[in-house]
Amino acid sequence: MKKRLLSIALAAAMTVTLFGCGGTSSDTTTSSGDSSSSSASVSSSDLNIMLETAVESLDPQEATDGTSFEVIADFTDGLMQMDEDGQAVEAIAESYESSDDGLTWTFHLREDATWSNGEPVTAADFVFGWQRAVDPDVASEYSYMLSDIGQIKNAAEIIEGNVDKSELGVTAEDDYTLVVELEAPVSYFLSLMYFPTFYPVNEAFFNECGDSYATSPDTLLSNGAFVIDDYEPAATAFHLTKNDDYYDADTVQLSGLNYQVIQDSQQALMSYQSGDLDMTLVNGDQVEQVQDDDEYLAVGAGYLWYVAPNMDAVEELANENIRFAMTYAINRDSICEDVLKDGSAPTYTAVPPEFATGPDGSDFSADQTMFADVCSYDADKAAEAWEKGLSELGVTSLEFDMIVDSDDAPQKVAQVLKEQWETALPGLTVNLVVEPKKQRVQDMQDGNFELGLTRWGPDYADPMTYLGMWVTGNNNNYGLWSNSEYDAIIEECTTGEIAQDEEARWQKLYDAEQIVMDEAVIFPLYTQCNAEMISSNVTGVEFHPVALNRVYKRAVKSE
Amino acid sequence: MRKYVLKRVLTAVFTLLVILLVLFILMQLMPGSPFNDEKLTDDQLQLLYEKYGLDKPIIVQFFNYVKNMFTGDFGVSYKISKNTPIAQLIASRLPISIGIGFMAVFIGALIGLILGIVAAIWHDTILDTIATIISVIGVSVPSYVFALALSFEFGFTLGWFPMLYSNSAQLSSSILPSVSLSMFTMASIARFTRSEMMEVMDSEYMLLAESKGLSGRALILRHALRNALIPIVTVLAPLIVDLMTGSLVVEKIFSIPGVGSLLVNAIQSNDYNVVISLSFIYSAMYIVIMLVVDILYGIIDPRIRLAKEDG
Amino acid sequence: MADIANENKYPDDGYSQDLFVLKEDAADITIDENFASQSFWKEVRAQFLKKKSAVFGLIAIIIITLLAIFGPGMNSYSYSDQDLSQKNLAPRVAWLEGLGIFDGSETISTTSGSKTTNGYEDSGLSDVYYWFGSDTFGRDIWTRTWSGARVSLIIAVAAALIDMIIGMSYGLISGFFGGKVDMVMQRILEVSNGIPRLVIVTLLLLVLSPGILTIVFALMLTEWIGMSRIARAEMLKLKEREFVLASRTLGAGSFFIIFKEVLPNIIGPIITQVMFSIPTAIFTEAFLSFVGLGIPVPQCSLGSLISEGFNSFTTHPYQIVPPIIVMALLMLSFNLVADGLREALDPKFKEM
Repeated sequence: MKKRLLSIALAAAMTVTLFGCGGTSSDTTTSSGDSSSSSASVSSSDLNIMLETAVESLDPQEATDGTSFEVIADFTDGLMQMDEDGQAVEAIAESYESSDDGLTWTFHLREDATWSNGEPVTAADFVFGWQRAVDPDVASEYSYMLSDIGQIKNAAEIIEGNVDKSELGVTAEDDYTLVVELEAPVSYFLSLMYFPTFYPVNEAFFNECGDSYATSPDTLLSNGAFVIDDYEPAATAFHLTKNDDYYDADTVQLSGLNYQVIQDSQQALMSYQSGDLDMTLVNGDQVEQVQDDDEYLAVGAGYLWYVAPNMDAVEELANENIRFAMTYAINRDSICEDVLKDGSAPTYTAVPPEFATGPDGSDFSADQTMFADVCSYDADKAAEAWEKGLSELGVTSLEFDMIVDSDDAPQKVAQVLKEQWETALPGLTVNLVVEPKKQRVQDMQDGNFELGLTRWGPDYADPMTYLGMWVTGNNNNYGLWSNSEYDAIIEECTTGEIAQDEEARWQKLYDAEQIVMDEAVIFPLYTQCNAEMISSNVTGVEFHPVALNRVYKRAVKSE
Repeated sequence: MRKYVLKRVLTAVFTLLVILLVLFILMQLMPGSPFNDEKLTDDQLQLLYEKYGLDKPIIVQFFNYVKNMFTGDFGVSYKISKNTPIAQLIASRLPISIGIGFMAVFIGALIGLILGIVAAIWHDTILDTIATIISVIGVSVPSYVFALALSFEFGFTLGWFPMLYSNSAQLSSSILPSVSLSMFTMASIARFTRSEMMEVMDSEYMLLAESKGLSGRALILRHALRNALIPIVTVLAPLIVDLMTGSLVVEKIFSIPGVGSLLVNAIQSNDYNVVISLSFIYSAMYIVIMLVVDILYGIIDPRIRLAKEDG
Repeated sequence: MADIANENKYPDDGYSQDLFVLKEDAADITIDENFASQSFWKEVRAQFLKKKSAVFGLIAIIIITLLAIFGPGMNSYSYSDQDLSQKNLAPRVAWLEGLGIFDGSETISTTSGSKTTNGYEDSGLSDVYYWFGSDTFGRDIWTRTWSGARVSLIIAVAAALIDMIIGMSYGLISGFFGGKVDMVMQRILEVSNGIPRLVIVTLLLLVLSPGILTIVFALMLTEWIGMSRIARAEMLKLKEREFVLASRTLGAGSFFIIFKEVLPNIIGPIITQVMFSIPTAIFTEAFLSFVGLGIPVPQCSLGSLISEGFNSFTTHPYQIVPPIIVMALLMLSFNLVADGLREALDPKFKEM
């Protein structure tokens, strides 16, 4: 029996689509659901999972970080959930429809969903949760998911405090019908519904708990696959157990989830090797130790790392040729393979690959050579552009400071970048200025930098989560770049007529990206991967680069 | 004596208030906010500032904080554990840090004492040198390397102790972190014991004891050690407080839910209230322990009391 | 000379003023009072040399210092030159190769069993030698270790000396004047002692750009306290002594007494404390590196090398071994020398 299991696991591991390793999908599953449920014997033991950081909040409207989202989604279902490919599929909503103008969405809720205190999950719970998200008294950090991104009626006004939260464009028509009104059609609206900010909260229970809501098992309600039964704020270890009252309880094979926060990666790997963990993250240096192992898996994390040149404040960087020279001089393959080693993928587009799927089901940035003429590794072109740029500026040497986070990976990448630039571009000196992350972000937002190494993670599965950044006046448009043509396209794709025509919108987004790349507004470097180890007797864990990074609902652990 | 104690207590309270004010001003200087500076707009940040009262002038924030503190309210965490009252956050973590700190001090003091006594009795011999080297070797390697080496050897390879702290096996999982932490105490105590013992052994009453015919172990233990112990105990107290925050790195490596790791995270994420409260508690413990040591010392040795009253 | 000015300083008290001459701060009042005289230092040296462990420590410090100065120049690599095609090579030394050690092969324990590889042979680098191996960027660890030792030593010695000047002055002044001055100065000291070092250092790095100077400054801000305590305690002990009283009677000013009279007599404990504070500084720097606030890359210190090698601790242990050994040796040596000095200067001296 053991042998057979092993072979199944091996087969499963082989069918896995690896992100950054030639795969086509970033949404990675450790096995297809069918093979595991039909043949593998089901174990009753818990899945032991390593976390890098502790949970910040289990309140769905207050949480902002990936760890918290993952755990909240373990025990809470929204209207929709992610399937193994990262597509939105029905969860609490049984069915849904949208009006022809795309401004009204109606969700019909399933009637067999209950909270863990026995109360049914109703449309009113969603109304309460969403109103909390925009309530200025709650001041949720993710309120912009409802306003700027979700375009829900009156959300922006409520957040500013001009309109009462009861005016939010979401109403409970009856207990099981939820109607949402939008300001403008949003093509990716369904994919927002699995984002925890949109999760329901039971009003009566919330009021009972008062300030202590979501701080202990007693002050948390579950309507999802698991129930939290051991937790305290900022705990380094906590536990969830299977929810037998879950409407989809038959799908859930695990008896529970056992989380352990481990900040030191070597301790984590040792714990994994000694069998205390079923899943763990490993760092790039450790990959060498584990890369021949079948249990090793590189999982897309969605973050795009890039260098932002300050074109506004630094005259030399305002020169296009200098910027082109710098982006041509970067050997992104070497950064990923020789330095990071964790499976991170070299990226030559402003929107990273493998998180946004278009109307035809293909990945927005699947073609990494799309902008090859303006963004590639080409030492000759780099030298040529450099010469040209220098003569235009009338100088023979340049010196730039690059600000870098004090974390491990950015420091490594920055050291290689410095070496690559200084080798390929004679006369260039790059000084690295290492700063705590908070300082680095502030410096970039204040325009107090020359070059900055930074990253951006997608908030939702649409290229706009990146392209929206380079609009004139955006907080994260660090180089203060401004292009009216670009602004017009983005405006059109957000609120214009085209917003409903998915095909046309998609093409327009490419046009916008083309402008960013043509002017070398950023130097994209790589899309981050996480190197994970997953025990060979665990299958069905789903990895996603957006919103919910890991989903365990369909995971199976065999003995 | 009562007047002296009262005076000392009042100055301690005053000092603590000044520390608190300085901390508030320092927090104001930290870059960024406790919130997601990258993704939030200025309006949203403003809302959050208002929610937590961070938009008020620093002096108002300070007095509000002091006022609330007297009711046991240290504010809430802004980031590392959103909206959790600091008091609750610390209440479960402080005992763990203190427990491991005490264990480390106990181990360190015990071994340090033995090494110090050995070095003093056989001073200027090879034993002395060996004892010195042993006591220093533990502080010659950064604690995080030492901790990981211990974990690798005794946790992973030999499997004698758990590699990570666990609530279900508190004692056995505290041993490795305590040992890694005890090195500093061990070195300090060994060195201090050695010089204390040598001084006591040189003193006249030891000569007297010796001339009365006492010798060997009895002499060392009954007379020398007992007299050397008093000053040793006084250096131990501040070491315990040091260990409480000195354990930042070791707590991180062994995943200990203590206050040290909390402080590091809080500083890195600008969680003002957590930083202020933890720093304040640290200072308070330090000052209180120093105060108690001084007062006890005064009771034990009247000469010091008089000197102190002069100064 | 100064008689005229002092004429009315001491009103008629029955003695003829001609009998006494106030010397003020004239040079000749320093002639005799220091008992730290020439022969004293001679004796200290003899005492120190008698202690073998202290001599060993001194020699080790000298050797490491020499290597820190000349080591990086002993091969053709520089501390920052990367060669990614030659990364993670194990140590290889030409004349030890034949013995089967330092031949560039290493055993990596992977999760699927351990394997022995030789990076040099695999990449056909027959005449490439990295004495201590190469790091994850293909930089020479030998060169980096000694450059790191150089940076660490500079930081530590600079920090210790500045600590000494500030802490000593602070402690001496506080102790000498006593009363209200002492009270205020001790409260300031308690306040600065009460604020966690990490908070101060993080803030400092924002005001100043990261680098050697900033780290020295950060160390200085937190390390002077111990020094000032010792200086103050010594001052309290000495200020009622006869030679101070004599100097005072002769009309010497406060600062003259503090720095010219008392200071030379407490130089012993001060030097010992400096010796103890150097290893503390090296260690603190290592801690700062570990939390990401150390010396900026690609420069290195022993601390930053250790925290870089830390991530490869279980993969390529040879990367962390050289900086660890150098640091441990330095720590041990400075402690041994300090111990030796303390005993040579005063066998009964107690650590504060």
